[in-house]
Amino acid sequence: MHEIIEVGLTVNGRPHELRIEPRETLGEVLRDRLALTGLKVSCDSQVCGACTVLVDGLAVSACTYLAVDADGRSVRTVEGLAVDGRLTPLQQAFIDHAAFQCAFCTSGMLMTATALLEENPAPTREEVVTGLEGNLCRCTGYAPIVDAVLAAAAATAEATA
Amino acid sequence: MIPRFSYSRPRSLGDAFHAHAATDGEGAYVVGGTELLQVMKMGLAQFRTLIDLKGIAELHGIEVLADGTLRIGACTTHRQIERSPIVAASLPGLAELELHLANVRVRNQGTIGGNLAFAEPHSDPATFLLACDARVELASPAGRRTVAIDEFVLGPLYTSREPEEILTAVLVPPAGKGGGRGYAKAKFFERPAVAVGVALTVVDRVVVSARVSLGSITEVPMLVPAAAAGLVGAAADPASLAAAARIAAASAFADLDAVDDLNGAADYKRHLAGVLIQQAALAALTEATPHA
Repeated sequence: MHEIIEVGLTVNGRPHELRIEPRETLGEVLRDRLALTGLKVSCDSQVCGACTVLVDGLAVSACTYLAVDADGRSVRTVEGLAVDGRLTPLQQAFIDHAAFQCAFCTSGMLMTATALLEENPAPTREEVVTGLEGNLCRCTGYAPIVDAVLAAAAATAEATA
Repeated sequence: MIPRFSYSRPRSLGDAFHAHAATDGEGAYVVGGTELLQVMKMGLAQFRTLIDLKGIAELHGIEVLADGTLRIGACTTHRQIERSPIVAASLPGLAELELHLANVRVRNQGTIGGNLAFAEPHSDPATFLLACDARVELASPAGRRTVAIDEFVLGPLYTSREPEEILTAVLVPPAGKGGGRGYAKAKFFERPAVAVGVALTVVDRVVVSARVSLGSITEVPMLVPAAAAGLVGAAADPASLAAAARIAAASAFADLDAVDDLNGAADYKRHLAGVLIQQAALAALTEATPHA
């Protein structure tokens, strides 16, 4: 008989009570139990960033984060960004700047950049490059992604001015 | 999936020791898990129980003690150190190091205590803290002790921590008047390929003492007294110090037991060390002579 732990976590604003094994990662719980497949488990070693989700506003690799550690915390995934089909300025900027091709990295890029902009609404280009350096993209060459994050910051500043 | 284990979430050191004793040596302490969960996934280590130390309040927090020592709780994340005003004022080189450690996700989850206790040979903090003459504080049911970094990290993934002991804090002495600490690294992947730490003290515009540490290039971070000796006596201006560092590295690093691997050829790593010691020395000089 293996150990089961009851955890309570909020995912994209919705509370969930789950009975999980300690060994289950947040990525496994989100994808396999809650059917939130936007995050991609790719390298499975915290290097590529494709599985990035936010836990209490901080970017983490869902592939190497125990779900039990999210007990009592608030988790956000790419599915939680758009509200009623309305894209966030960041998502819109990714479309406008063609900041993805195959899109396998995109949900991770969006989550990392979302956390970055929430902490630092007016980043410099260098701060965006540094902030995203742990998210790998094999299609775009990164420039359109950095452009999109800076454009989203500018659009948000304009909208709130 | 990660092989099965049970999970214990103690709220005090006493409860953690108790939980560890109950595992008959098959338990491991864990904090962020950024290193431990990887080796468990790969099947390189297996534990019946993981004992999560994050819920123990006294393992968190950053403070400067009365004697100027910077005390960082073991469960402080890399990101918390990176953004701490206390660290920025007391040990700016560490804040800068943390900003460039691995990636933002690892920094949000991984901790200074976990990093040191895991003793991965390519650890940024271990190399820099060695130059800073830092110590780690260890607690066990028998009491507490502090250990210098070079007596703590003994080999790759191997430390002088006893299995039941918990690394509770990192203690960094103040630089003192005219003192500064700097760190520089080259990295091609997530972890540094070569890293150099320099601590020095300047009196009357001359370097009067120095410590030089070297990391990632050998199996454990190491002090290089010959390189440090080469910095002593240098005039405390960037051009003179860089020249002294370059000359010191040429001899002190020549016989270094570097290995050829994906991070580069041994000769190339020795070359990099000679470049990085100059950068680290200049960073230390900036802290030592802020108004120069």
